[in-house]
Amino acid sequence: MSLQVRIQALHLRRAGFTLGPLDIEVAASTRLAIVGPSGSGKTTLLRCVAGFERVDGGSIRIGEQLVAADRVHLDPALRGVGMVFQDGALWTHMTALQHLTFAAPGLGKAAALALLERAGLGAQAHKKPPRMSGGEAQRLGLLRALAPGPGVLLLDEPLRSVDVHQRDSLVTLLRELTGERRTTTILVTHDRDEALALADELVVLCAGKLVEHGTAAALVQRPRTAFTAAFLLGAACLPARRDGAAVVTPFGSFPAPAEPGDLRHVLLPGDVAVAADSTANATTTARLIAATPDATGFHLRLALGDQVVHCRHDRALPADTMVRLVLNGPARLLPWQAPAALT
Amino acid sequence: MIRSGHRLCWSRWPLWLALAFLFAFVLAPLALLAVGTVQGPDGFTLDAWRELAHDENALQQLRASLALGLAATTISLLCGGGHAWLTLHRGVPGAVWLAPLGVAPLAVPPIFIAMGLADVSDTTGFWPCAWLLGVAHAPFVAVLAARGLRAIDGRAFESALLLRGGARAELWLLRAILPELLAGCLLAFLFTVADHGVPEFLTVKGKTWHTYAEGIFSRWTRRAVGTTFAELQSPLVAALPYVAGLGCLLYAALRLRAAAPDRGVLRPLPVRPLGKLRWPALLLPLGYLGFGLALPVVVLARWVLGSAQKLEPMSLQFAQQSYQKAVSEGVPDLLHSIVLAAGVAVLVLLLALPLARASARRWPWLELLVAIPLALPAILLGIGLVRTYSDHFLLRWCGDFYDTWGFAACGYAARFVPFAALTLAAHVRRLPIAAEEAGALVPRSATVRALRLHVRPLAASSWAAGVLVFVLALRELDLAVLLPAANATAVRRLANAVHFQHEDWSGVIALMILSIAVLVPLLPAILAGRKLSSLD
Repeated sequence: MSLQVRIQALHLRRAGFTLGPLDIEVAASTRLAIVGPSGSGKTTLLRCVAGFERVDGGSIRIGEQLVAADRVHLDPALRGVGMVFQDGALWTHMTALQHLTFAAPGLGKAAALALLERAGLGAQAHKKPPRMSGGEAQRLGLLRALAPGPGVLLLDEPLRSVDVHQRDSLVTLLRELTGERRTTTILVTHDRDEALALADELVVLCAGKLVEHGTAAALVQRPRTAFTAAFLLGAACLPARRDGAAVVTPFGSFPAPAEPGDLRHVLLPGDVAVAADSTANATTTARLIAATPDATGFHLRLALGDQVVHCRHDRALPADTMVRLVLNGPARLLPWQAPAALT
Repeated sequence: MIRSGHRLCWSRWPLWLALAFLFAFVLAPLALLAVGTVQGPDGFTLDAWRELAHDENALQQLRASLALGLAATTISLLCGGGHAWLTLHRGVPGAVWLAPLGVAPLAVPPIFIAMGLADVSDTTGFWPCAWLLGVAHAPFVAVLAARGLRAIDGRAFESALLLRGGARAELWLLRAILPELLAGCLLAFLFTVADHGVPEFLTVKGKTWHTYAEGIFSRWTRRAVGTTFAELQSPLVAALPYVAGLGCLLYAALRLRAAAPDRGVLRPLPVRPLGKLRWPALLLPLGYLGFGLALPVVVLARWVLGSAQKLEPMSLQFAQQSYQKAVSEGVPDLLHSIVLAAGVAVLVLLLALPLARASARRWPWLELLVAIPLALPAILLGIGLVRTYSDHFLLRWCGDFYDTWGFAACGYAARFVPFAALTLAAHVRRLPIAAEEAGALVPRSATVRALRLHVRPLAASSWAAGVLVFVLALRELDLAVLLPAANATAVRRLANAVHFQHEDWSGVIALMILSIAVLVPLLPAILAGRKLSSLD
């Protein structure tokens, strides 16, 4: 079973923080990741969908059912959602097998054991969570959430307490299980790699407001805002000042885009290189912080104003050297929505 | 339209029942006592309160209580705090065995220690009383100090050790566990100044000086000779501001305890051996346990053998006679006591579970309300219960309930419910909320969820709290003096019997009470073959 989730004009206010208004539609069987810095309201939004928080306005529909709105609050157990919590949130007094048979009353012992085997937890069936590793506990958390066959699966930073080596296998398991069941999945994370590994669509949140919503490929390849580029791709956002029909940045003057509003000159990794000669156009000077070797040369970290710019070079340079940088292509001028402006 | 399924139905009615119980057996009696002090025969009057302000006798008793409380608390701090520090951190010889015993004096009724002291020495008066109550209440400090020491991350202590040296690191440690130590001291102070039985026992046998709790009781027993409204109400007028003061102390103790969070220990506190000082240091735990545990046991055993009858030499034959007399004279009372204590423990747990969940998850203020009986001297709670429920109207309404064991059990439960509710609330706070939220998504009935996910994780704490209440109910003397059905408990009979020179069989009963009080907490460890964890 797979259900659509529709969030319309949702908002709530908690202790000085305002979430929304938000409009998000998640099609059935889609995997959506909600990303944003800490305090942007990702987990609060997820908890609204689960039913742990009451909304102040707007509505949430899961499938055809209205589950939350003004004066409507459906009990979490009746919403048909499963949730994987940050640190597992397992029941420490129950064995792995008891977790599944309790969470899914219709699931027989044999089916529960088969599910545990499938997730590589067959040997842990009779163990309690305190005797499991972080990765095993998180797998069990995932199985517990999926065992009753929810229409929507909610994941709250599921890889946070898992070490690097176990992440890949957990990601694979997650994709397999949700793919087979075609379960609609909503993931919350502030880790770009985690989001890209698990999701088809991304929603970028900042200070409780929606910044961008689109497919993962589109947002990564063509971010529409400087904030998305900075948060998702680690881009440097240099100051850009409008001067009539032109925009002035540390790299020089460029034609201004038609859209009004604040702009930033966004530098993605690979957008700049060390200038071969001092006569090149569109150059600026930056201070080298460090040059670290990699398989094909050196990765340079350079300070440009208060931003850090990354580029590659074929040889090492001493720290604190002033380096002349040149643009590799056209200037990427994107609208800037500062957190304050978003609120 | 709010559709919340049946999620809350399980938790609502036990909570409302528990709150109704608190109202009926704690708040209502207290409120009636308070109203009675200003509701004279001719309407509202403050005569009794005005008189108290000029009562030099009451002020003197108050000063005596304060001095006794401070002296006894200092002794509790030295004995309890010292015991925890030496056994858990400084590795005195035999620490593995001595540490779990630190809580054992709590199983010994203070009146037994008083009886032991009176038997081996003629010393009576202020200092013996302070010493005795200090030792009897030292387990509060020991347990909380141990909790504080266990919550210290060993690496933080090692950092202090590297940076500032041994003495400064120990001072750092003292500061780190200060909230727990202060909370333990405040509890010890509270119990000392609220105690009526021990000061009364020692002042009857020795010099005449009186504490405030004693003064309240003696006024109460003599109130019939008073003629004016002020004279009749004086015991209650004296008691109420006293209780308000104790309530403030209790609030401070609870805040301090809550302010000492579980710090998530990654490495336990290291043991720093004392070197050559380890043998002299052993004197403190041995002295503490010797006075609080061994002295009463030895004296009671000597009574059984005939020491109180001045038999020389004492004999096993006499012990046999003592045992036979105990079986005929005291065992029925002991059985009553055991049944009453077990019933009280069950009742308290049924009340404490919903109260603990509500105070830990929804209404923090409820914790203070639940803790009120801790601030009430038991003797005052007893007076309140007697005055409220011996009222003609209520007697007609409740039938014979006032004279039954059920009423005694309710009175005891009202007194001891804070112990269980506070223990369980502390445990509920340690359980992750997310695990409960995960349970809220499970398609099961609310009752099943409550039993499997809320009650089951508290099983170990419930057992510990139940055992504590059982032991406290078994040794309760102050309430037993006042509640009619509880007059026939073993401890009450014991206190009477000792006055009438029946030490022989009283000793047997007292030893039986002690054995039960010590063995019941150990049962799970014995049955499961588990090692005792220290000072739990």
